[in-house]
Amino acid sequence: MNEMSSVPQVPMVRSGSFCGSRAEFRRLVLRGGLLELITLGFYRFWLATDMRRHLWANTTLDGDAAEYTGTGKELLLGFLMAVAILAPLYIGYFLLGIEAESLQTFASVPLVALFYLFSQFAIYRARRYRLTRTVWRGVRFWMTGSGWAYALRASLWALAVLLTFGLLLPWRTAALERYKMNHSHYGELQGRFEGRGLELFKRGWWIWALTLAFLIVPSLLWLPYLTIVVLPALPVLFALYRAMEWRWWLSGLRFGAVRLQSALPATALIPLYLKAIGWSALLLMGFSLYLGLGGVVITLLTGGEGELFRPEALQNNIAMLVLTGIGYLLLIVGFNAVMRIYLLRDLWAKVVNTTTVYGLDAAAEVAAQGELATALGEGFADGLDVAGF
Amino acid sequence: MPHDLPSHIAPEAIYFDGTSSRRHRVTLSFGERLLLQNLEGETLASWAFGDLRRADAPSGILRLSNVAAPPLARLEIRDPGLAAQLTALCTGLDDTGPARHSTARIVRWSVAAAASVLLIAVFGLPLIAERLAPLLPRSFEQRLGVVVEQQVKTLLGDRVCDDPAGQAALAKLVEAVRSAGGLDDHVAVVVLSSGIPNAVALPGGKVLLFSALLADANDPDEIAAVIAHEFGHVAHHDNMKVLIHNGSASFLIGLLFGDLSGSGALVFATKTLITSSYSREAEHDADTFSIEVMQKLGRSPKGLGELLFRLTGKQGGSALDIVASHPLTEDRRDRMRSLDAVPTGPPLLTAAEWQALKAICKRS
Repeated sequence: MNEMSSVPQVPMVRSGSFCGSRAEFRRLVLRGGLLELITLGFYRFWLATDMRRHLWANTTLDGDAAEYTGTGKELLLGFLMAVAILAPLYIGYFLLGIEAESLQTFASVPLVALFYLFSQFAIYRARRYRLTRTVWRGVRFWMTGSGWAYALRASLWALAVLLTFGLLLPWRTAALERYKMNHSHYGELQGRFEGRGLELFKRGWWIWALTLAFLIVPSLLWLPYLTIVVLPALPVLFALYRAMEWRWWLSGLRFGAVRLQSALPATALIPLYLKAIGWSALLLMGFSLYLGLGGVVITLLTGGEGELFRPEALQNNIAMLVLTGIGYLLLIVGFNAVMRIYLLRDLWAKVVNTTTVYGLDAAAEVAAQGELATALGEGFADGLDVAGF
Repeated sequence: MPHDLPSHIAPEAIYFDGTSSRRHRVTLSFGERLLLQNLEGETLASWAFGDLRRADAPSGILRLSNVAAPPLARLEIRDPGLAAQLTALCTGLDDTGPARHSTARIVRWSVAAAASVLLIAVFGLPLIAERLAPLLPRSFEQRLGVVVEQQVKTLLGDRVCDDPAGQAALAKLVEAVRSAGGLDDHVAVVVLSSGIPNAVALPGGKVLLFSALLADANDPDEIAAVIAHEFGHVAHHDNMKVLIHNGSASFLIGLLFGDLSGSGALVFATKTLITSSYSREAEHDADTFSIEVMQKLGRSPKGLGELLFRLTGKQGGSALDIVASHPLTEDRRDRMRSLDAVPTGPPLLTAAEWQALKAICKRS
């Protein structure tokens, strides 16, 4: 590589590629989902780690694969830290609620805002954890900045977005990404974000307008049927927006003189979302079929006549309850696997394979720097059920 | 991969020293230790075979780290023959590293933790609630009571029935039940104008009686038994017990499933099963209290069961018994009916007082 840095007039253009085996990932998430079930969810820390290890290790940039160095144990620790902090907070929230209520009935409702703040903190710190576990060419990415400063910004922006019915969303995304990227580094290279909110708005405003129209017009005209007609359009619009956002986001990323360019086609994610929805519908149909068959079998086994074959009678049947419970849990495992295969792995592969890197010669010899961050944010994100990237 | 270097300069391995992102092409020589030399013949590193560990890599690439070198130093071998040769020499290749977690151990301890938490929720929490609830200061209970009362009034209307003659009759009835139940005089009963036939005991000793229950009652004994049942909750500190028990159960189960906000069908189902069994027990005990009070007053305890049955009808088989918060009405009625006896004490209210009580909500 170093020989090439002596000819700087042609900036180096390299593409990313994802070479992971789909069958291997499918095995990973199915096995992991079942283990999650058996361990009442505790396996999720190791499953998340294994999925990231697979995705990172198979993502190649300029011929060299990345590596994820996080461990399940770290995530478990982050979860425990989050519990230690959230537990007294829940109690305090409860007591504060009592105080507020005695002043004014239902006055405690705005306290929910506090939890929004926490979830934004979680998103920032979780990204920091993931970034500091990302290694490429023996040098790690790292991140500084304050999770609370970020949470405050994110919450104020969210308020603005809410008040403008979503119009300001692109500017919120850009501002928050600027904050995140300004505090991100690869070794000694400083990151920044050059994507503009206006840019994203210009590309995506019609999606926003259509969605708003789809949601408002039927209720204004009192035409509930119209909602059913436009409902299938919503995932397509969402997939269009996501592709647009990915493309805009990647093309705005900078590390020193290194920049990315995404050629993700606008329609690239639509099949993924439709497949995920289709599989979910299929799983639901399978579940109903299973319940129906279970009901028939139980009715036959207990020797009941027509009298027993009523939903009310089955509702109170312990065997049927157990069957339903097992089916429900398997359904959840199935849903999770579908989401992880289509909306995580396949989406990742599409995004990586359409990404090009410019100016990599600037990253040919980057000195390592930066500290590891704890998984506290991941723990919060887990406890508060939020996800971020 | 399109980025592979032309074959005539292909290095045998690629080395990253972990301090910079520079890509070193190195040749490997196997001796006592593994020598990494660049193309100029300079030795960049000398690694002991026993220190080498496998790191994550795409298939077809052997990526090694070294426990004695900077943690991010990596050696990548793409030639299968060379990789096999090196693998044979490394003894501790898979000793530690990200893939080494033992799934069996995670499963074992998760199941153990789950069993422990569930056992605590089922057997430990009732004991804790039992011991802790009576120790809470009454001022705290009363404070909570004010909050709950406000919420109830906001939801169900806040008109307090206060017809003077009705009030006098109510006071007489309450006093009889109170002294028979051995409660001190911080308890009080307030009639709210509402179409819902119900009664609730608030934390702190106040009982709200909804007027629809008065309208459905046939005689003073039935209302006295209802009040006695609610006073039973007060005497047993049930509000505080349920608060402590259900709050901790939700928290423990939420903790177990990693979902502190308490959503998720699984969390909900487990919580409902545990809390409803506790609540059924509390209801059963309050019924016992009501029966004892009525017996002490020399009146039949069956009124409560009859009144409830009139309100709810037969319940068994139509709902999920194990998630119901109260015992089945027919079971409660049968229990109280079996204790029916000819009254030995005087009537609790005169006919005129009973009429006044039933008319307590009329506006004067």
